[in-house]
Amino acid sequence: MWALRVSSLARAAFCSRSGNSAGLSSVPPFQEDGRGRKKVTLELLDHLERLALVDFRNQEGVERLEKAIEFADQLLSINTDGVEPMDSVLEDRCLYLREDNVTEGNFAEELLKNANQTLEEYFIAPPGNIPLPKLEDRDTFLQKKKPSADMLPLTF
Amino acid sequence: MLRASLREISAALKEGQVSPVELCQKYLALIKATKFLNAYISVTEDIALKQAEASEKRYRKGQRLGDLDGIPVAVKDNFSTMGIETTCASNMLKGYIPPYNATVVQKLLDQGAILVGKTNLDEFAMGSGSTDGVFGPVKNPWSYSQQYREKCMRNSSTSNEELSWLITGGSSGGSAAAVSSFTCFAALGSDTGGSTRNPASLCGVVGLKPTYGLISRHGLIPLVNSMDVPGILTRCVDDSATMLGVLGGHDPKDSTTVQDPFHPFQIPNITDTSQLCIGIPKEYNAPGMSSETLAVWSKAAGLFEKAGAKVVEVSLPHTCYSIVCYHVLCAAEVASNMARFDGLEYGHRSSADKSTEALYAATRREGFNDVVRGRILSGNYFLLKQNYETYFIKAQKVRRLIVEDFAKVFSSGVDVLLTPTTLSSAVPYVEFIKEDNRTRSTQDDLFTQAANMAGLPAINVPAALSERSLPIGLQFIGRAFCELQLLTVAKWFEEQVQFPVIQLQDIMDQVDAVSQEEKSASFP
Amino acid sequence: MAASAIGCSRRWFRAGNFNFGNVAEPRCWKSLVLASTFFRSASKTAGKQNRDVPWAAVVGLEIHAQISSNSKLFSGSQVQFAAPPNSLVSFFDASLPGTLPVLNRRCVEAAVTTGLALNCTINKKSLFDRKHYFYADLQAGYQITQHRLPIAVNGSLPYSLCTGKNQNELVSKTVRVKQIQLEQDSGKSLHDDTGHQTLIDLNRAGVGLMEVVMEPDMCCGKEAAAAVRELQLILQALGSSQANMAEGQLRVDANISVHHPGQPYGVRTEVKNINSARFLAKAIDYEIQRQINELESGGTILNETRAFDYKLGCTIAMRDKEGKQDYRFMPEPNLPPLILYDAKSLPTHTSHLQVVNIDQLQEQLPDLPSVKRAKLVERYGIQPQHSFTLLNEDGLIEFFETVIAATQMNPKKVIGWILKDVLGYLKQYNVMVEESPISPLLLAELLNLLESGMISSSAAKQVLEIMWNGEGKSPTLIVKEKKLELIRDQNELEHICQAVMDGHQKEVEAIKKGNKKVLNKLIGEVQRETRGRSDPVSVKQILEKQLLLQPTKKNP
Repeated sequence: MWALRVSSLARAAFCSRSGNSAGLSSVPPFQEDGRGRKKVTLELLDHLERLALVDFRNQEGVERLEKAIEFADQLLSINTDGVEPMDSVLEDRCLYLREDNVTEGNFAEELLKNANQTLEEYFIAPPGNIPLPKLEDRDTFLQKKKPSADMLPLTF
Repeated sequence: MLRASLREISAALKEGQVSPVELCQKYLALIKATKFLNAYISVTEDIALKQAEASEKRYRKGQRLGDLDGIPVAVKDNFSTMGIETTCASNMLKGYIPPYNATVVQKLLDQGAILVGKTNLDEFAMGSGSTDGVFGPVKNPWSYSQQYREKCMRNSSTSNEELSWLITGGSSGGSAAAVSSFTCFAALGSDTGGSTRNPASLCGVVGLKPTYGLISRHGLIPLVNSMDVPGILTRCVDDSATMLGVLGGHDPKDSTTVQDPFHPFQIPNITDTSQLCIGIPKEYNAPGMSSETLAVWSKAAGLFEKAGAKVVEVSLPHTCYSIVCYHVLCAAEVASNMARFDGLEYGHRSSADKSTEALYAATRREGFNDVVRGRILSGNYFLLKQNYETYFIKAQKVRRLIVEDFAKVFSSGVDVLLTPTTLSSAVPYVEFIKEDNRTRSTQDDLFTQAANMAGLPAINVPAALSERSLPIGLQFIGRAFCELQLLTVAKWFEEQVQFPVIQLQDIMDQVDAVSQEEKSASFP
Repeated sequence: MAASAIGCSRRWFRAGNFNFGNVAEPRCWKSLVLASTFFRSASKTAGKQNRDVPWAAVVGLEIHAQISSNSKLFSGSQVQFAAPPNSLVSFFDASLPGTLPVLNRRCVEAAVTTGLALNCTINKKSLFDRKHYFYADLQAGYQITQHRLPIAVNGSLPYSLCTGKNQNELVSKTVRVKQIQLEQDSGKSLHDDTGHQTLIDLNRAGVGLMEVVMEPDMCCGKEAAAAVRELQLILQALGSSQANMAEGQLRVDANISVHHPGQPYGVRTEVKNINSARFLAKAIDYEIQRQINELESGGTILNETRAFDYKLGCTIAMRDKEGKQDYRFMPEPNLPPLILYDAKSLPTHTSHLQVVNIDQLQEQLPDLPSVKRAKLVERYGIQPQHSFTLLNEDGLIEFFETVIAATQMNPKKVIGWILKDVLGYLKQYNVMVEESPISPLLLAELLNLLESGMISSSAAKQVLEIMWNGEGKSPTLIVKEKKLELIRDQNELEHICQAVMDGHQKEVEAIKKGNKKVLNKLIGEVQRETRGRSDPVSVKQILEKQLLLQPTKKNP
């Protein structure tokens, strides 16, 4: 009995096409047709590299981001009117409170052991927090992505 | 003995039929013999033997610590282990030796378990194949099983054996392979989108994802803090209950564990299923699912029905958005969690040190693979001021819709949901790598992700062998903190299907032979 | 309370060249051709062009107060000012992967009591967020703070400041408190110039902070300093923070902008990390004037962050990141909501250790400074501005009360001695109350001598000076040694008075002609002659009597 019932649904679309109160899109959400994919501006890519301190390395990296954005855009069609965002499934639980006792410390040796560079009991960083050089002066793949005719910048 | 369940071996240890040291040595030998599977990143031979000796002393004195005393277990390499390298299969943490044990590891050790090694995974647990770590991919033991080999030879389409090995699934592939190939009785994995259940399904073992908040995450190097849970991989459902009993409960070091008291339990054997209501979510009938999986799923439903249980079709209308939602929330949390890797206090440190920011950028370029870096960048994109509302908040709202879907279903009288775990059985590595990591994850996490979104407990139970003699698993999803009910149903099902044991006889014989030699060599 | 209702007595104008005062002339002042004092009234500038249209300044503050607790906000490592580097660091503080935050109950209570003392609404539910940016001493790459829903909101801080010619008029003001939030402190970076590197010490990383955000209701450095001082006193009274600026327990960031009255507010700059009470007002006033000058000369103000350089005495633009900073706030997933309770909502089956009861904390609040001041006024009959000063100086109340307990002199008189004389010395020589060479008991002894008529008030002042410079000798001894006792012998006094009169015929004539004020001069002369050993009242009587008896000189 069950075998039949289930297999009759096998050809059905993944999400109900009949539409319901949630107002779901009827297009299978994980098909990426590659058309209408947002291109990101060089300025935004530079901004992201600086904020994340991770570089795109190559065109593939940029495309990866564009694909990710396109994929995420599927959310936009979902009707979430009147729905509160959910931080955590434990939102109705109370936060555990710790007593004000000193229970940890004096780990300097263990902590410093894992650090690549130390001086006496200090961790070491290079001087200051000089911001990353401007795009022109950086050795980043984005250098090659300077605006050209075929880039369609979008404002964000 | 090697194929015994945890319970059985625990009883044997108690009876003195086998000694912890003996057992440990045998398992270490088997790990050596199965090295080609690449399931382990580190094998902690010396530590394991020392622990085994200590366990043996306790047994002799009749002072065993508990059911796990003397039992070899493996731990995924994203759990912190004191004094033992913990890498997350990433260059960023190569050589990192944590100064503390994860709570779950400590609990296992406190019970006398023997830690045989740290298992392989996708880098930072990002992936669904256990193919994207710096130590290389993990091979599915079923690739080398007699069952599969025989079928392969018959089909003879695959000529080169080496090329046709199958993936384990991921990201806890190493742990699943370790349990599946009998190199440990149980293993810890982690589960954020299905990372324990997915490889469990492909490797034919039981993979339990407990309710979020039941088991401590302290010491688990996080992927998505609001969804990660430690996962338990064992060879049978009873064993997972044993492990759960040791690991569950409030941890003052983890503010996301619930403060309710936790009571370990033994799974009852149910004979009467007439009070049970099984839900079949129609949205889980997805395109891309293999016909075999579909058949196994419907057969299972029929099994419950025949046994008198109520089997109903239910709807979880937002299922299809779970993956997109996860994609955004996961990337955002990854971007945040990875911000600490800068090379100053631990881990890889680049030699480019003109300025702090240059050092950070270089360290992170050198330390992370493309997958990780890609998620960091997209995560930061979603968290930008101008995008936060559009993507992150939106995803959080969709999350609530998904959670409400489950709540509605469970409050309508359904006890447990029955779904497939993966789209199909294990695929060959060469096929798997044709798609990129994100696409693969998107496809492979389809059935498993929603349970993480909702924080619900779920378990993979091996159901049947495919036509190629590869495992097909099915997933049960239960109500929050109702692991007892969930495992009871799972156990009943396990007993009904009598999933066959993997035949790795060649390897086993090899190990036996070696150990015989060693024994005879040791006599004067 | 609308900002416009809280007026400011200060009016700002562009000014000419003035010297700064008692701080060494800073270089940048000269180059900017700035003034240190500001015109108070338009009348002084009446002659100038309308360059002197008045400016108004608005100052808002973000104050970080380190919570006084044994252990840190989210971990069990110790909170202590001085310790070997990285010895007070837990695995969580070092951001080792896999470690998780666990909230310290004491820190929650500190924030709640501070919120209650500042008349805030305490949010029964508050949330934690991550604020992302990279810095060498921010080891996790983010700070845990409360961005969306802080623990307390919408409060007010009443404060007073001394104005008027002699700084003895007390004016009451209020500044609105926008919110109080709990957040982590960062570690410390020490710059090692020789080694071209930065040394990181994480001892301070993770210490609990309360950030108190004050609305831009203040108009100048003096108001800001007074508000900060009052906050400091409140925090110290509550015990929620020791608020010692020198030890970094209280740090102030000021948001400053200028505008013409009646026009919209100008672009604001942020002056960060003002860590000294002494320089707080100066830094703010400098920035206000800098902005005025910049705008007056046709420039613009950038929305930037500046630091106050103590040596140069000016604010300097900090090397900002290229491009905009985006903190990418995100909820902290490892911390469920913080729920607080009151008497009505107490949960039943929860350990009391897990419950923070707002009503209970309200009941247990100690006397706040304003209450303490009122009590002092009531108890001792002193003026409000006196009690203000008493509270304002660390240790002065204790000093005062010790003296009161040991003397019969009326507190209303005692207060004068303490505030004018003792405090005068302390301020002049920059000495703390607790380091005062004049101890309260010795002062009491001196006042007793005065009260009992043994010495005159001017003699007492002489003794005080000797005590200040001295080695703790008792006043009685000093009086004896210096022979400062009041002259009791009436005859001797009359004799001296007569002698003075004889030596000051002009003054005598003036008095006789009706100029009574000159009598004071004669009294003063007698005092000088007797080296303060005469009682001015008696002297006056004697002089008056003798004047009557003095025959008027006839004109030749």
